[in-house]
Amino acid sequence: MAVVAAPDRLAARPAWLDATIVQGTALLVALGVAVLAGSIIAVGYGSGPLDVYGAILEFAFRDATAFGAVLATATPLIFSALALAVCFKAGLFNIGVEGQYLSAMVIAAWGALSLDFLPGGLHLLAVLVAAMLGGMVFAAIPAVLKVKTGAHEVVTTIMVNGIAISFIAWALNGPLQADLPEGTNADLRSDIFEPSALIPRLGSALGVEDSAQLSWLFPLAVVAAVAVWFLIKRMRLGYEARAVGAAPGSARAGGIGIGSVQIKVFLISGVLAGLVGMQQLLVERGALVQNYEALLGFTGIAVAFLARNHPIGIIFAAIVWSVLSRGDTAVQLQTGLPREFVIIFQGILILSVVIVYEVAARRLMRRQLQRAAIEEPRDDIEATEETG
Amino acid sequence: MLGDFGAAIQIALTYFTILYLTGLGGLFSERSGIVNIGLEGLMVIGTVTGAFGAQYFTNDVGLGVPMGPVVGLLFGMMCGAAFSSVHALATITFRVDHIVSGVVINLVAVGLARFLSSVFFNQATQSDPGGPHLALIDIPLLSSLPLGLGRAFENLSPMVLVAAFAVVPATYVLNRTRWGLRLRSAGENPEATRSLGVAVAPIRWQGVLISGALAGLAGAYLAVEVVNNWREGQTLGLGFIALAALILSNWNPVRLIGAAFLFGFAQAIPRRLNELPIIELLPPQVIRMTPYVVTIVVLAGFVGKVRPPAAAGRAYEGAGGA
Repeated sequence: MAVVAAPDRLAARPAWLDATIVQGTALLVALGVAVLAGSIIAVGYGSGPLDVYGAILEFAFRDATAFGAVLATATPLIFSALALAVCFKAGLFNIGVEGQYLSAMVIAAWGALSLDFLPGGLHLLAVLVAAMLGGMVFAAIPAVLKVKTGAHEVVTTIMVNGIAISFIAWALNGPLQADLPEGTNADLRSDIFEPSALIPRLGSALGVEDSAQLSWLFPLAVVAAVAVWFLIKRMRLGYEARAVGAAPGSARAGGIGIGSVQIKVFLISGVLAGLVGMQQLLVERGALVQNYEALLGFTGIAVAFLARNHPIGIIFAAIVWSVLSRGDTAVQLQTGLPREFVIIFQGILILSVVIVYEVAARRLMRRQLQRAAIEEPRDDIEATEETG
Repeated sequence: MLGDFGAAIQIALTYFTILYLTGLGGLFSERSGIVNIGLEGLMVIGTVTGAFGAQYFTNDVGLGVPMGPVVGLLFGMMCGAAFSSVHALATITFRVDHIVSGVVINLVAVGLARFLSSVFFNQATQSDPGGPHLALIDIPLLSSLPLGLGRAFENLSPMVLVAAFAVVPATYVLNRTRWGLRLRSAGENPEATRSLGVAVAPIRWQGVLISGALAGLAGAYLAVEVVNNWREGQTLGLGFIALAALILSNWNPVRLIGAAFLFGFAQAIPRRLNELPIIELLPPQVIRMTPYVVTIVVLAGFVGKVRPPAAAGRAYEGAGGA
C-alpha cells in the first residue's frame, strides 16, 4: 500500500475539519445504503418507498402523544447506549448491559416492595439507588475478573447475561412471587408496587396523554447523557479512560493505573445499565413481570454504534431508533409490507453503519499519517502504517 | 432412580447434539482466527429456515424416510452458512471488529427470523406445531442396558449419532490434512501463513462458513427434530452455552464432546433429576446457571487454563486484498 500524498489539499485543511467531513460522509453513506436497501425491499413488495418511510415518520410525529411515546421508547435505549459508550471509550466492551439491567430490575423490585415504609419521594429515590447499585454489582464481577485474572470481559459478561436470566426467573418463582388468588390464570409477577415507588408521568402540561408512558425518566436520561459527556470530555477519569482506550501502553507510561481506570469505568457503566429497566418497571408495569422486555442491552449496542459513542449523539440515535421501532404498526396498516420490514431496515442500517464507519476510520488514519508525513518527512512511514 | 438417570441422559444427549454441532462450528471459525460470538444468531436462522424446509417438502425420499426433515436440516444448514457470510464479509473483507460484527449478527438474526417467519408462515413468532421429523431410533446394545439406563439410548433422533461421530472427521481434517494445518496456522500466525504463499482470507472465509453451516444445522435440528416447529426465542441462549463449551474445551474437538455433554446434562438435571438429594434443595434456575458459572471460573484461571488461538480476534492486514 503506497502512500499517495496530496500535500496541498491536505495541508490547507485543518485536521478537525477533515475528521468531521470524513465522519459526516460516513454517516450519510451508511444511511443512504440502508434507505436504498429498504427501498428495494419496499418495491419488491409493490409499495412506494416514499409511502413506507412517510408512514413511519407520520406515525411518530403526528401529534404530541405520538412523539411522547417515541421519547418513552427511547428512554431505556439512551441509558443502555450510554452504558456501552462509557466502556467503549476505555476500550472495553460491556456486552453485559443486558444482564446488568435484568439483575438490577430484580434488586429494584425488591427495594420497591420492602422499602415501602419510606415516605413519598424517598421511596422512589431508594428504588433508583437500589437499581444503580444492582447494575454496579453485576458489572463489578467481569471488571474485577478482567483486571485481576485477565479473563476477557466480552466472554465473562456474556456468561453473566445467562446467569441474570436465571436470576430473574428465580426471583419470580421464589422470593418476589406474588400470592395470586387460587384459580387465577395469570402470568408470574411480583406484588404491585406502592404508587410512591413509581416515577411520575410527564405530560399533561405538554399535551402528552398518559398512554404515551412518558415520565420524568426521559429528562433524567438526557441529564445522564450530558453527565457522561462531561465525564468523558472534562474530567480526569474521562481523560484517563480515553487514554487507556486509545493507547494502553502510552497510558501506562504516562502513569495511569490501567486496572483501576477499567474498574471505575465498568462500575459507572453498570450504574447506567441499572437504570435501563426502570422505564418498564417503574413507569409501564409497576411490578416485576414474567414477560419483561428483554434485549434492551443489545439494542443499546446498536444505538451506541449509530451515535459513534458520542453521549449527546446517543440521545438522537435513540430517538431515531424508536421512531423506526414504533413505526412498524404504520407499516403494517398503511402499506403492503409486513411490520417486520422495520426490524430488517434497522438491521441493514446497523450493518452498513458498522462497515462504513470502519472503512472511514481507516481512511482517516491514512490521512493522519499523510499529514504527519508532510509535517515531518520520514522514510519509515510504510512500516508505521502496517501497524495501524 | 437409575431410570430417571437414564431419562436425564437422553435429554442431555439432545442438548449435547445442539451444543456440540454449534460449538464445533465455532471451533472452525475461531481456529481460523475469526472470533464468532454470533453463533446464537446463526442458530436462530437455522431454526426458522429449518422449520420451513421441513414443512414444505412432504414427499418421501424413499426407504420410508420422509423428505421434509432431511430438506429442513439441509436448508437450515445452507441458510446458516449464507447468513454467516455477513460475518465473514464484515470481519475479513472490511476488517470490522469481530465482537462488534458478532453482536450485529445476533441483533439482525432476531429481526430477520421474524421477517422470514412472516414470509414463510404468515405469522411472525411461530410456525404450526407438529411438523414432520425423522424416524426415532434405538441404539443397538446400549438401549438394552439394564436398570433403566437403556432409556438413555431409546427414541433418539439420528442426528444425535451425526453429532456424536462428527468428532472423527473434524479431528482428522484439522490435524491430519493440509487444509486443516493451514486453517490452524491462519488462526495462530497469519503472517507466517502468508509468507508460505497461502492466502489467509479464503481460509478464514471457509472457517466462518463452516461455523454458519454447523450452527444452522444445530438450529434446524432444534426446530425440526426436537420441538417440531419454529418458535421465537426457542434457542434460549444455547448458542452462548455452546460458546462456553468451546472455551472450556480449549478449542479442541475431542474435549468439546465432554464440555458439550456436561453442559447438556446441566440442562437436563432440573427436568429429570430434581428429586435427588441435595439437588432437590436447589431451585432449578440455580442449576441452569451452572454452565455460565463454570465458564467464568475456568476463564478466571481458578481451575485449569485456557489458551485461545493466538491470532483470533485480530484483523490481518493482508487478508483484505488477498
